[in-house]
Amino acid sequence: MATEFHNLQELRQSPSLATKVFIQRDYSEGTVCRFQIKFPSELGSRIERTLFEDTVKTLNTYYAEAEKVGGQSYMEGCLACATAYFIFFCMETRYEKVLKKISGYIQEQNEKIYAPRGLLLTDPVERGMRVIEVSVFEDRGSSGSSPSSNVSSGISQR
Amino acid sequence: MPTSGDERIKASAFIPVSTAAVLLVGSTTLFFVFTCPWLAVTVSTYVPPCSAILFFLVLANFTMATFMDAGVLPMANEDEDKDDDLRAPLYKNVDVKGVQVRLKWCASCHFYRPPRCSHCSVCDHCVEDFDHHCPWVNNCIGRRNYRYFFLFLLSLTMHMVGVFSGSLLYILHHQEDLLKLHCTVTLVVMSVSGLFFIPVLGLTGFHLYLVSRGRTTNEQVTGKFQGGVNPFTLGCCGNLEYLICSPISPKYTARPIKKSAVRIMPPFLKPETDRQIPIIRVRDNGVQRHDLQSKRLSADGMDEPDIKRLNTPPPLHPKPDPKLLKSHLAALEGHYLSSEPILARVDQQLAFQSGPMSSPHQLNSLTLNSHFLTHKHAYRHGNKLPALHSEGLISQKVSPGRFPPHNPLSSRSSFSYSNLVNPGDPNYLPQRGGPPLHYHPQFLTLGLDGSVLQGSPSHSYSPVFMGALMHRDLSPQTLIHREASPIRYDNLSKSIVASIKERQEMEAKDRMLRMQARSQALYGCPDMGVYDIPSRRSLPADSMRPPGSRAPTPPSYGSREFMMSTGILGYAGTRSPLSSASSSSLTRAPRTSSSPLQSSGLQSKGRSPSPSYLPPDRQAKPSSSSSTLPHTPSSSSAPLCLCGSREDINMQLWE
Repeated sequence: MATEFHNLQELRQSPSLATKVFIQRDYSEGTVCRFQIKFPSELGSRIERTLFEDTVKTLNTYYAEAEKVGGQSYMEGCLACATAYFIFFCMETRYEKVLKKISGYIQEQNEKIYAPRGLLLTDPVERGMRVIEVSVFEDRGSSGSSPSSNVSSGISQR
Repeated sequence: MPTSGDERIKASAFIPVSTAAVLLVGSTTLFFVFTCPWLAVTVSTYVPPCSAILFFLVLANFTMATFMDAGVLPMANEDEDKDDDLRAPLYKNVDVKGVQVRLKWCASCHFYRPPRCSHCSVCDHCVEDFDHHCPWVNNCIGRRNYRYFFLFLLSLTMHMVGVFSGSLLYILHHQEDLLKLHCTVTLVVMSVSGLFFIPVLGLTGFHLYLVSRGRTTNEQVTGKFQGGVNPFTLGCCGNLEYLICSPISPKYTARPIKKSAVRIMPPFLKPETDRQIPIIRVRDNGVQRHDLQSKRLSADGMDEPDIKRLNTPPPLHPKPDPKLLKSHLAALEGHYLSSEPILARVDQQLAFQSGPMSSPHQLNSLTLNSHFLTHKHAYRHGNKLPALHSEGLISQKVSPGRFPPHNPLSSRSSFSYSNLVNPGDPNYLPQRGGPPLHYHPQFLTLGLDGSVLQGSPSHSYSPVFMGALMHRDLSPQTLIHREASPIRYDNLSKSIVASIKERQEMEAKDRMLRMQARSQALYGCPDMGVYDIPSRRSLPADSMRPPGSRAPTPPSYGSREFMMSTGILGYAGTRSPLSSASSSSLTRAPRTSSSPLQSSGLQSKGRSPSPSYLPPDRQAKPSSSSSTLPHTPSSSSAPLCLCGSREDINMQLWE
């Protein structure tokens, strides 16, 4: 009983997912990985516009760096071809390295900026680089009356 | 059998790739065994090593093209497409470097395919930069493995050229020994390489052309950029550079996802704004409010006080004069009374509002009666009084201060239809005030002398629908009306007040008529307890309507009928059912009338649709509250007797 009560308390306190906001890809420059910097209205009340846009811009920068066609990628390709692509078993590609950096960056952003605001960014690579998924959690802790308000709203609807 | 079929399909898919592999490896092996030693001796010692390197290149690219993920896009999560699936258009346009590119919705993967992405029917997944599905490697060729496929083609072509030319050289030098093993094998190898050289060379040339144009096989075959501009091309050299030097994109499927827990615990930070931003909120009831966004927004608290403010009834107003109420009631009796309707709480209020408040009670009960059918809630809860969801206008008018708690509800209900019709249209209600006004003279006429009214009602409401609707809809107009009507009572004379009330009644009637139309569809609903008896009994079959359908515009029958149907009973819905039902219902119940309006007006009408809709057990409340209205003794069988004082009136009306 006590354990259940404790769990119930935790459940009540743990935020539940309210909605998900999806930041779509920006294809204006082709198939290069780039996300729209347009600030979604659903996040207007949860996070500052500048913070969010900075995050997306930084991600875009990372992806541009990963997809840059230059000397490093050329050398990587030649090396791979020369070794009959056995090199892929030994080392990871440049893109994968940047993806790791991106993952770390998203993690840091989540911990520092988004989680305190009840948001959570999902790495786009988990969604096939099609969207940035922003999970919006219910804000119950802003007012102590939130559970009562839920109750009252429930009653009023009856 | 399906499994064996699938197995056959799967087995058959491996035939081309197996054939290709066997031919490639076998032929090359034979070449190396039987031909290369002579070539090494005769031509050069570097022939075998170069051939070997080339062969390994072919093999490597062949392996990569066969086993490498082409850039498969994982299916979208349910959260992502839950809105899109229902209403998503098939195509979505995006602008790519100034060129409109159409993105198609993938029904299998539940997302809009990115540009150049296509769904492979063989592999049943979307592939990024989809080129084609190659049967010789049994794999999709896409963004990640197109380079390897292209290099495979190139290397294979070169290898085949080398093998063929080496074999040819050997044969030419051993024409006299053609029947020997070496010659025979070399002849076979030459034939095979020669045979497959033509298609391989053709395919290589084709892909060289595609690369130079910056197209995929899919785009070429479907003719996407035949006449137009290809926004994805980087120029011939740029495309080649991209082909050879671009980084390898990551695999999206089967990624090792490391879930690092990020603790999310409220309270959450809120954005702080330096200035107050006026926010125009369009609520689901069509209210547009201009809110000033405070510095500290409370996400969940913002709407609550607003809604509560809206819900808060206007300040109490002095109760109307009972005499005023009488006159009003008289006017009402000849009219549609359904408007005000109140919810289950009304009956409670009526219950405790006894004695001096009898008039309002009666009035309200009359209105409640009229709305009896509309509110299944009341029926369900066994309320004697019809709990009705409809405008609180009339009730407002009657005793504005009396039912403040109901105002929101009644206003909600009253505007529920309007909200349905024009959700979010804040101007809807004021505009709707027009048509009811049209009936004003008619109502007046009826009210005064009970004569036939002119004109025709505009709508038939669906009380069921109104009742069934969530009472969330609040409109400021309702509040305004509510707030205004009490104010009118304060200062205006009796006649003016009555006229105002009549106008409001007409508006309410208008709404009720519309509700009736909706209620038609609901009449047959078994869950609608309110409608069980009346609807099935009185409504003809053709009155049944699909849910959500609207009633036709004003019934064609005379205003009298309309008055009968809409004013009191208003739930009959459409004209024909109304008329038929009303006639039946009217004739059913005994007609006792002493009330001026009702007896003359209603009886002459000969129809009242609604009475029959009321269950017989819905006897009016005991006439504890003295009725201020002159009413004839009503038969107990009157279906609609919601209030003791109103029984006879209701009887009149219903009959």
